[in-house]
Amino acid sequence: MGSGSLLTPMLGIDISVGDHVQRKIGPLTINVDIVWATLIAGAIVITLGLILRSRATSGVPGKFQLLWEMAVGAVQTQVDDSIGPRGAKVVPLALTLFIFIFTCNLFEVLGIGSKLDWLPAPTSDINLPLAMALYVIVLVHRAAIKNRGVGGYFKHYVSQPFSPKLFFVNGFMNVIEELVKPVTLTLRLFGNLFAGGLMLSLLAALVIWKLGPVPIGGILSVPFTLLWKTFDMAIGAIQAFIFALLTILYFDTAMAQDEAH
Amino acid sequence: MADANLVSAIKTAGGLVGAGLALGGGAVGASIGDGLAGSQTIAGVARNPEAQGRLTTLMFLTVGLCEAAYFINLVFAALFIFSLGK
Repeated sequence: MGSGSLLTPMLGIDISVGDHVQRKIGPLTINVDIVWATLIAGAIVITLGLILRSRATSGVPGKFQLLWEMAVGAVQTQVDDSIGPRGAKVVPLALTLFIFIFTCNLFEVLGIGSKLDWLPAPTSDINLPLAMALYVIVLVHRAAIKNRGVGGYFKHYVSQPFSPKLFFVNGFMNVIEELVKPVTLTLRLFGNLFAGGLMLSLLAALVIWKLGPVPIGGILSVPFTLLWKTFDMAIGAIQAFIFALLTILYFDTAMAQDEAH
Repeated sequence: MADANLVSAIKTAGGLVGAGLALGGGAVGASIGDGLAGSQTIAGVARNPEAQGRLTTLMFLTVGLCEAAYFINLVFAALFIFSLGK
């Protein structure tokens, strides 16, 4: 890059996205770095759980146990408020999703915006959010069938929100809604984390901006990166919470008694 | 007729314009949503100061949902720039 002009444009930097360590197994391409990052995140969550299990006491709890109790309590309240006591089975799922996604999102802080990270946030690749969203949606439909019976399940599609006479409109709207659910659930999480990684790359690319002899980009890059990472941790927590909350809300609509509508 | 350079230039231009439209339009919508959530939270707290804690949680949740729509746009913008525009 020529450093002559006053405002050296950022164009011409080669920022690439979606680079992963890949292995091809037959027709499948596996992003190996995402796999190992997922495994590490899972190991962290399981280890935290096991540590808690060995230390759990019904007496005065330590800080570690309090942290867990706070998380469980928050999810429990949320489930009780929206589904009621029938939703007790949803609590472990939602809690695990929250803790796991939160751990995954925290990996983003380790990134420096390089092409390949040693420990990328697993949620910044679309495969993990998609897998989790599909898992949740399948369970939601299973719960709906259990709640309403097979006939009631299909009848539910055509009998609301309008009167059953407009069954075609009802069916169309409900099918679209159900199809969109996993897509938005996936893209919401993936988009946020992906954007976080992209922003880190852009901040790293800022370094080439020079104002004459002054490396102004390099000076700006450091505080901006720190700010962004702080903000990104908050985003990660909020997105993990939203994923868990939407899981609860989807279960709520699936388990709702029809009189309640 | 089909000049390879021209085709690739048109592709790049289209990708960048599309990404710009997606980001700009998404920013408009997301900021309107954020503003609505924030203003209604303030109105709610002014009316009932005790509810501030609960309202703040709900506000962050709503803001997260609004911004998420924008971040979905950002993914598509990146798709336009880095894959379709190449």
